[in-house]
Amino acid sequence: MDALPLLLDGLVSALTPQNLVWAFLGVLLGTAVGVLPGLGSAMAVALLLPVTFRLDPTSALILFAGVYYGGMFGGATTSILLNTPGQASSIATTYEGHKMALKGRAAQALGTAVIGSFVASMIGTMVVALFAPVMVSLALNFGPGEYFALTVFSFVAVAAVVSGSVLRGLASLLIGLAIGMVGIDSQSGSARFDFGSSAMLDGIDIVIVTVGLLALGEVMYVAARGRTGADLSAIRTGRAWLSRRDWARSWKPWLRGTALGSAFGPIPGSGAEIPTFLSLGLERKLAERRAKRRGVRNEFGEGAIEGVAGPEAANNSSAAGTMVPLLGLGLPTSATAAIMLAAFQQYGLQPGPVLFERNADLVWTLLASLLIGSVMLLVINLPFAPLWAKLLKLPKPYLYAGITLFSVLAVYAINTSVVHLVMLLCVALLGLAMRTFGVPVAPALIGVVLGPIAETEFRRALAASSGDPTILVGSGISITLYVLVLLAAVIPVIAHLRRRRAERTSAAAVERDTADLG
Amino acid sequence: MTANSEQSVSGTAGDRGSVSASGSEEATATATAGVDGAAVAAPAAPEDTTDTGAPEHGAGTDATAAETEPDPETAPWSGPAMWVVPALVAVVGAVCVWGAFTIEAPPNATRPGPAAFPGAIGALLLVVAALLTLVNVRNLRSGAGTAGNALAWFEGRPVLIILAGLVVHVAVLEFVGWLLAGALLFWVVAYAFGARAYLRDAVVALSMSAAVQVGFSLGLGLSLPGGFLELVL
Repeated sequence: MDALPLLLDGLVSALTPQNLVWAFLGVLLGTAVGVLPGLGSAMAVALLLPVTFRLDPTSALILFAGVYYGGMFGGATTSILLNTPGQASSIATTYEGHKMALKGRAAQALGTAVIGSFVASMIGTMVVALFAPVMVSLALNFGPGEYFALTVFSFVAVAAVVSGSVLRGLASLLIGLAIGMVGIDSQSGSARFDFGSSAMLDGIDIVIVTVGLLALGEVMYVAARGRTGADLSAIRTGRAWLSRRDWARSWKPWLRGTALGSAFGPIPGSGAEIPTFLSLGLERKLAERRAKRRGVRNEFGEGAIEGVAGPEAANNSSAAGTMVPLLGLGLPTSATAAIMLAAFQQYGLQPGPVLFERNADLVWTLLASLLIGSVMLLVINLPFAPLWAKLLKLPKPYLYAGITLFSVLAVYAINTSVVHLVMLLCVALLGLAMRTFGVPVAPALIGVVLGPIAETEFRRALAASSGDPTILVGSGISITLYVLVLLAAVIPVIAHLRRRRAERTSAAAVERDTADLG
Repeated sequence: MTANSEQSVSGTAGDRGSVSASGSEEATATATAGVDGAAVAAPAAPEDTTDTGAPEHGAGTDATAAETEPDPETAPWSGPAMWVVPALVAVVGAVCVWGAFTIEAPPNATRPGPAAFPGAIGALLLVVAALLTLVNVRNLRSGAGTAGNALAWFEGRPVLIILAGLVVHVAVLEFVGWLLAGALLFWVVAYAFGARAYLRDAVVALSMSAAVQVGFSLGLGLSLPGGFLELVL
């Protein structure tokens, strides 16, 4: 294994004062855009692209990588504090994170998110540095049929995360899928659901959907709740640091989240959303099992620290994982990675298998600066965790007016058009209606993100096999995924039936008891 | 003690209608009774809501979720508003199915063509809408849907003010410019949330909007519309 000395060489060349400044600027900017709702790291990198043209490639890529990692760190902050995730990768964090904040454990939630992100990006980057070739060959095994199996698997995994009514979750997912179909069909080029508007041909941007359903929808929902809503300023920020018990509960979810993120990051199209939701679902199931076997109280649904630690670790290690196909294959697997690919091409560098040989110094410096960026993010963010928690102390009118302002700004900034703001208003009203009637929002978002991928891969697979559907189950990977889907769908039903039977017998027993007493 | 346990057991054992009804009634009660402020904030919800609607569907965490607060994602809908979501889902489904029949596929398109997915998803949406309607009808029969108005907490006024603010903002943004339109939006939303220090709010709004404009123009090179101020200055 000759990767380690190469990484050390990279570390030495990354440790120049100039590169350190760029890494610092990158993580600072990334954290900032991650915190602001709707302004994801993809947008920040896109806006920086023309600015960095005059820099040398190494510095520019270090800057971009810093923004990417910083966005993953910063996204957690508003998820936990305000229930409005800064970007799609931190949607899963809102479930338990915001409940922790409402219980006065905002600082602990932020702390476990920051440390988990740090652990995950360190391990994730090391894994990338050491095993990049192996991971590239694994990712190459994914054809259209396997992608489709993966998206089906994610839909089911999300359904498992959303408790409550299955029917409402399904309605939400289907609405999301419907929104995702607006615009020009990528396979045939025909216009769908454009309603005669040229702006609709581009589809409804994911930023509009995220900001509308989550940020602006939340603002309106809180306004509608009025006096009966949760009072954020009454929340005590509590002690700033993680207690020994928090550490004990966090470290395993960190490692499990890291493993999930590293596994899914290199798979094109999976992005950071799938591993974060899988991690949340896994931690919830494990907590149920602990409650059943050892009587440990299951805190899921009321602010379980495991539900923050896992997803936050997963999104950072998946950010590291996306570097594998980006550098090794020239294949971007997330929006941010796609724009970074454009940056590579701007400098005349073609990522791919030869990049490791021809521009080895650049690759290793980049990987090393990711490690440095992680350390910087920890140093910047950890002291700020209690400070961020103080954000809740702002007067409520100003806090929500500020969120509204940034929501509108984020959508207007996509391509400075007022038509997109009208779309935003419609989506925000949809979000308000869904919240008011207790329809979960997360499945709709997953539908919008993964729906187009599922459709494209399904049709591409059938086109490749000229209509033969057996291609969908044609490999070990897809069969394994479908078996997991079946298990995930069948096991809860069986457990449910068994529980109901047990309850019926115990209810009968209780009735006998009361009859005896009476 | 015995009575309490019996109640919760019967709640999970199946008679969903009546138990859930008491849940939504309770939610209404807390909502309307919450005149003196944030006493009813969700995290502080006391134990008296333990027997709220134990959900029939969904596995696993239901028992713990039901203990904290009446879960809005399982509480049945009531009143005329109960038809909003089924109607919405049905409309989206109808649009999808309509699209499936009207989308023009290029003659050389491979099968399945561009209309296949809209058709499938539209059909599924219609099925889900029908099932949601069925659940509503069943709740009406068992009396769960008629008990009280579960949406009594909904305050329309602030929402309408915010909506009006957003509509005005969108309408005037390109004429008036970001600085004034953004400040107006900030001020209106703050007003909707109960800010009444008009002058101070205006100052805060203007400085926020100005900070955003300067930050974006200088920092990221993104141009926000200057509006007529650009011509005057």
